[in-house]
Amino acid sequence: MSWRVVARKDFADAVRSRMLWGIVGLFALLMGVSALVPSLLDIGGATLGYNFAADLAQTLVPVTALVAAYLAIAGERESGSIKLLLGAPHSRLDVTVGKFVGRAGVVLVGVLAGFVVAGLVAVVAYGELAIGEFVSVTVLTAALGVTFVGIAVGISAATSTRSRAMALAIGVFFVFALLWDLVPFALTYLRTGGLDLGGTVPAWQVLVEQSNPSRAFSQLVDAALGSGAEMTAGGGGGGEGAANPFQSRIAGAEPFYLKDWFMLVILGAWTVLPVIAGHLRFRSADL
Amino acid sequence: MAAIETTGLTKRFGDVRAVEELDLTVESGEVFGFLGPNGAGKSTTIDILLDFVRPTAGTAEVLGYDAQRSPTEIHQRVGILPEGYGLYDRLSGRKHVEFMIESKEVDDDPGRLLDLVGLDAEDAERAVGGYSKGMAQRLVLGMALVGDPDLLILDEPSTGLDPNGAREVRRIVRDLADGGTTVFFSSHVLGQVEAVCDRVGIMREGRLVAVDTIDGLRDSIGSGATIELEVDRVPDGVESLSIDGVSDLTAADGTIRATCLDPSAKLAVIDRVREEGAAIRDITTRESSLEDLFTAYTVDRQTEGVRA
Repeated sequence: MSWRVVARKDFADAVRSRMLWGIVGLFALLMGVSALVPSLLDIGGATLGYNFAADLAQTLVPVTALVAAYLAIAGERESGSIKLLLGAPHSRLDVTVGKFVGRAGVVLVGVLAGFVVAGLVAVVAYGELAIGEFVSVTVLTAALGVTFVGIAVGISAATSTRSRAMALAIGVFFVFALLWDLVPFALTYLRTGGLDLGGTVPAWQVLVEQSNPSRAFSQLVDAALGSGAEMTAGGGGGGEGAANPFQSRIAGAEPFYLKDWFMLVILGAWTVLPVIAGHLRFRSADL
Repeated sequence: MAAIETTGLTKRFGDVRAVEELDLTVESGEVFGFLGPNGAGKSTTIDILLDFVRPTAGTAEVLGYDAQRSPTEIHQRVGILPEGYGLYDRLSGRKHVEFMIESKEVDDDPGRLLDLVGLDAEDAERAVGGYSKGMAQRLVLGMALVGDPDLLILDEPSTGLDPNGAREVRRIVRDLADGGTTVFFSSHVLGQVEAVCDRVGIMREGRLVAVDTIDGLRDSIGSGATIELEVDRVPDGVESLSIDGVSDLTAADGTIRATCLDPSAKLAVIDRVREEGAAIRDITTRESSLEDLFTAYTVDRQTEGVRA
């Protein structure tokens, strides 16, 4: 259980970082503002506010989680403090797991702080918390944060220097946040030789498109907020998730891997697999 | 049971042979000085003992545990001061020691350990980002003492310490050794280990070139001495003369220097130099020191390095 000691120390070390608190403060502020937007524009209620907050979190949380965790192990290898950490009776597995848990804790605190502000804004501006929607969006955003912590710790475990870890973290962010919009074009082109995005596509292509953790998160948020997140004057109560968000794009029945629950599998895979892959490199590395 | 035992230990980084076929045994309870110039393979050897680096071939055992299979068992029982360590800049010195106490699951008093290594209470509460190298070195030594380890592995413990601090480290090492702790420490300066070590090993180019007690090393120098003759002119070819009992003969700037293995050789040197036609103006003799021996083992390496 020695990973617990590593996680606790890592968390204690991270919360002493002023930069981290700056980021958390900024994040909370932005979450509060986006939750307020429907009220300002008079286009909806608390649920729509959470939807806007989730849209913002979809970009901000990955960046924050990557920044908070990409140096978890690589930074210690570069500074040499890893020799004190591993010089204590912790195995390399304890270090990988402890770092993941510690940094996930940091990101969870940040996400919670952001949503507490968003929730307060909702209560003040809309007179309701919409507790079900509030809790589900908070939990989903926390899951997105943990996913990117997994990716970042994986990167950090696989690299020996600050600069390499940073390059990979930036690369991941660019691919998922920016280049991903090109994926439908690329796949359609490879499949048909043309760039006609109309018509139906094979279900597997949609799976590839949804395999971006941010996309998976987005589908889950849509399902959780349902029709309450639509822009209607007044807004209000939530509804059931859309039965089949891809019905218009794919031919035939929706396969299991496009259902909402499978998006949780995608997030889980992006959390665990990078950590495992990174650890396998870290385990055999000369420090 | 030996505290440290390596068999055929070899580590290559690409083409660089950092450690070659190292067979080293450190007995329980002894203070062992691991000597050699920078780059001789001392730190790599220590890194393998601590499982920071994986050997290319051979095995290393520490306190009876295989270094690669059971690193956590080893770290539980060993205190270390590694080479090239870093600290957690935002945490205080006391927090560092507390972390090690928690990690080893012991109930030491951090204040007592910090006091022992000479870090005062006020400094201990500060974030270590502002520590000098000497303070950092004391702190890590304090962390190494957590849990009353059976074995201390210290890589260049005097680095960054002023002479006073270095002397204090030697005192701590001696006290611990008197209490039964095995101490294995490396240094590139013989003077730092001479006073505290039971035995020393000398590394050169990844190989162990000598292992002996300090007394044994003195004996191996024997009654060896250096004789220096100041002459009016250095005869041609004097350096290639072969004289019984003389191991080394050099000449420069009107001075002929010979290392003599037995006392009678001194007279032989004087006689031969005069036979060669030089007039001797002054004679100086000096007993060989351990430093000369250490230099003999290591200077050689540097000239090879120049050739390569």
